[in-house]
Amino acid sequence: MSTSGLCEGRVALVTGGSRGLGRAICVMLAREGAFVAFNYAKSDADADVTLAAIAAAGGRGSAHKVSVLDKPGLAALAKSLDTVHGKIDILVNNAGFGQVVPLALMEESDWDDMLDTHVKGAFLTTQAVLRIMVRQRYGRIVNVGSLAGVKMMQAPVHYATAKAALKGFTESLAKEIGRYGITVNCVAPGILDEGVSDHLPPGRKEEYLRHCALRRVGRLEEAATMIAFIASERASYTNGATLVVDGAV
Amino acid sequence: MTLVHHGEWYQRAMDCTSCNSTPTRPDRPHTFFAHEQAACPSCAAPLEARVVLRDGHVVQLIRCTACGPQERVVSHDADAWVRSFLDRGVVPEGLVGDHLFKHTTSTCPRCLALVAAQVVIRKDRVFFLKDCTRCGPSEALVSEDASYYVKAYSFARAGTEPLIFRNTAEHGCPTDCGTCDDHEQHTCLPIVEVTDHCNLECPICIVDNQYSKHMEPRTFAKIVDGLVEAEGSCESLAISGGEPTSHPEIVELLKIANRPEIGRVVLITNGIRLGKDRELAQTIKDMGVYVGLQLDGFTADVHTKIRGKDLVREKDAALAMLAELDIPTQLIFVATKGVNDHQIGQVVELFLSGSHFLSLNFQPVAYTGHGGGTFDHDPNDRLTIPGVIKRIDEQTGGKVNYTDFFPLPCSHPQCVSLTYLLRLDDGTSVPFARFVDFEKHATLLRSSATLPATPEVEDALADVIHDVFARQDEIERGPEILAALRRSLDEMFPKRPLSSRDAFRVSERQSKSIFLHHYMDRHDFDLERLRKCCHHYPQIDGRIMPACGFNMFHRGAAKGPDTPRAKFGRAPFSLPVIA
Repeated sequence: MSTSGLCEGRVALVTGGSRGLGRAICVMLAREGAFVAFNYAKSDADADVTLAAIAAAGGRGSAHKVSVLDKPGLAALAKSLDTVHGKIDILVNNAGFGQVVPLALMEESDWDDMLDTHVKGAFLTTQAVLRIMVRQRYGRIVNVGSLAGVKMMQAPVHYATAKAALKGFTESLAKEIGRYGITVNCVAPGILDEGVSDHLPPGRKEEYLRHCALRRVGRLEEAATMIAFIASERASYTNGATLVVDGAV
Repeated sequence: MTLVHHGEWYQRAMDCTSCNSTPTRPDRPHTFFAHEQAACPSCAAPLEARVVLRDGHVVQLIRCTACGPQERVVSHDADAWVRSFLDRGVVPEGLVGDHLFKHTTSTCPRCLALVAAQVVIRKDRVFFLKDCTRCGPSEALVSEDASYYVKAYSFARAGTEPLIFRNTAEHGCPTDCGTCDDHEQHTCLPIVEVTDHCNLECPICIVDNQYSKHMEPRTFAKIVDGLVEAEGSCESLAISGGEPTSHPEIVELLKIANRPEIGRVVLITNGIRLGKDRELAQTIKDMGVYVGLQLDGFTADVHTKIRGKDLVREKDAALAMLAELDIPTQLIFVATKGVNDHQIGQVVELFLSGSHFLSLNFQPVAYTGHGGGTFDHDPNDRLTIPGVIKRIDEQTGGKVNYTDFFPLPCSHPQCVSLTYLLRLDDGTSVPFARFVDFEKHATLLRSSATLPATPEVEDALADVIHDVFARQDEIERGPEILAALRRSLDEMFPKRPLSSRDAFRVSERQSKSIFLHHYMDRHDFDLERLRKCCHHYPQIDGRIMPACGFNMFHRGAAKGPDTPRAKFGRAPFSLPVIA
């Protein structure tokens, strides 16, 4: 795959980078020249796979086992990256998960877990990194949303709620911190070939394909490419936007 | 300064002083910078020009009595011109003798005539050198720190205009006081003298009490009406005298002043009656009136020298009453070299100890008025603003230090210096200068005490919050400051909305301020400073008189009780009530 050094010399932090779309984002940013730090909550083995993929792409990176709900841990992570690299240029709030459950059967804990990981996790990670970006008067924050947070479609209610919240988070934060040269955008993929889409019931996927102009689901790297561009210096006038990557549904 | 009165969140808290129901005062079309010697472009008569910065240009505004008002552009690059102006304050290395910084207009200390003054730097201090054609040469110390004095000019900011000027510029400043349409600042602090009776005879008194009259409530009401007409709204209104509590109808006057257009009513008092009259104190508390307590020291000898008698017990009683009733209080300390300057730190410590103390106002003594005009002094060895700041630093062990203070560009930058202190959650305070770059955010100093809800203030405060957030590890007590800022927001914007007045009261308790205001006398009078004076005495004839001009030329006691009144001066109580 050809690259153009979009993120050459940049330091990125990707949340939930050990698997799925997170891993693809890490690899893409590394390919584009960034040093990629990522955090993960569970599997050391998965993190090792991501690190190996980053290395295979000719990049450099580091893995950090810190939950996006661990405020002191995130602060320590941001500080250590700042200490080692002197900056954090890019933050991709990707951490999340899918869960197929109708509202009727949804437990309160399901709701809390979903909202916590997606929304509170983005808030805590952003707050930890933001002070560094404000100080350096530069930053690119990309929140990974979903088509389910943008369009009316049949998706788990708590998932759609969390992703829609990230759109609001993006827009409000973009207004608040644009003055410091920090852009905040949201990339909202449709169904992709791996990741949270893995557990979709076949009927949902078929319905999606019927409405998709490109008649296929997206590939992880197609979403990651958009994220890498938005995270680059070149996307200098895109701010507060939600960019849908769905093949035209 | 009350905290974060800005933006959409904060409009509610600003209702009382900047609400939309009152007209907005316009900004001046320029930034008044300084006076300098010039010549009339038409007749070449030598005169003093007002230098203003306008749209990136530097312009001399000239008022020639023969040819009328004119102007001349002296530079098309205001930034470069200001830099070169400040460079004039750099003393060449090895120079022996005086270094000329600039010129201005001052007064002859003997006959009060307006005379040209050379502003010179001598051994890091600033002096006026004057030569009156009638009385001969004189010198006066105007600043104990030349660096501070020169740098203060960089804080110059445009003033705002009142809605109505009470006079037009005809003869020039200070003859046309009232204020005239050449005046460079509206009335930030109106001071109404409601009586010329007093229960003290202070050796240092700057007014000229005649014991002739208490102002009638209807007259006072008309003054307040006129003030509101001229200003739209006022952040503060100070009621002074004489001793205002000697006025038999003082409560009635406070009621008149306590109206929506007035943010806070401040009763300036020596505290003698307040300390023993619980009913009056409780009334003041219930009305939401603030007290400005004169407190120049803590020992009998100091009180005797400055106020004419031992007031230790009376001051203690007043302080106890204010603390017990939790009345919002300003302390006013007239600082006199060799008399009470060793107690400056003590008053700062007292001020920091009580949450009801909102501000502390140091006034380096002005040798003017019935008492002050004859008070023993050496015009070349006196306290000025930097000298008081230095003592604050030394006597508080740096708790509040020299670099915490900045000139206030609301008035002329040489008139007032201040620091704001944020109240931390443990009850201690930290000066704003420790975490706010006031050189970058001079907007925050443009107003005297309350930040207006303007976009530029909103921007500046957002920057301050983010800057502390970003640098919290580097800033002394950074996390505590962030916690205090957060607490301030919670208290000012609780889940149940506060009334405008309550919000104002809550917000102003988030921080404290220490002001230093150097009133002028016949030695250090600077016409340039008077030009932008914003502490004004509203008069019964409708005039609103800039304080030092009034004290010097219109009150008639600049050199003591027998000073002839300037020909353009008129006594405050000698005129008919305004219609």
